[in-house]
Amino acid sequence: MTTEELKKLKADKVVDARGTACPGPLLAVKQAIADVPDGGIMEILSSDEGTKKDVPRWAEKRGYQYLGDFEESGYFTIYLKK
Amino acid sequence: MEKKKLCLALYTGSVDKLTAAGVILGGAAAEDMDVEIFILLQAAFAFKKENAMVNDRVAEITDKKDDFLASLKRLGTPHWTEAFRKAKELTSVKIHICGFAGKVWHGEKLDDFIDLADDICGIAQYIQTAEVADLNLFI
Repeated sequence: MTTEELKKLKADKVVDARGTACPGPLLAVKQAIADVPDGGIMEILSSDEGTKKDVPRWAEKRGYQYLGDFEESGYFTIYLKK
Repeated sequence: MEKKKLCLALYTGSVDKLTAAGVILGGAAAEDMDVEIFILLQAAFAFKKENAMVNDRVAEITDKKDDFLASLKRLGTPHWTEAFRKAKELTSVKIHICGFAGKVWHGEKLDDFIDLADDICGIAQYIQTAEVADLNLFI
């Protein structure tokens, strides 16, 4: 998805993991995914560059869909579909 | 789906390596792995109640210890004990203190160690666990 398309998504759950280093953001995502309904969207905010690679890998293994990410204002916004 | 098992032989008593172990444990927790940790020799020192929070020894690049510890703070890195605790909250993590290692550091009973420790074990338990683990690490 393009950045513009990602920005239009309505998240069912937002995980703000900015300011934490690996593996903090990934663990925050793992804990929060239970709060996302099937087919729902999770938005993840992270200032840790490794999260951009970790989250898609983690999601794919669990059958969740990685929708994309973009960088803005010094942090990354990543989208998953459960 | 059967969970994968990580067997970690934790020898180090140094916060740099314990912090690395904490990061790896976080990854294992994210992957829902079952984890068994065996606390060997110097790690038993770090797990003693009176040492865990005050021990700030580092094993490598020791001349930059202050920089290293300051960076951990700057990055909001949890103390290794908190990283271990978080992993225990998220997946099955059992921490076994080697009986010999405990005695080396004057720890005879489970109560001599921080509450992360689950039991005191012998070497056969480590070998048998390592034999069937999907991933074996020594730190």
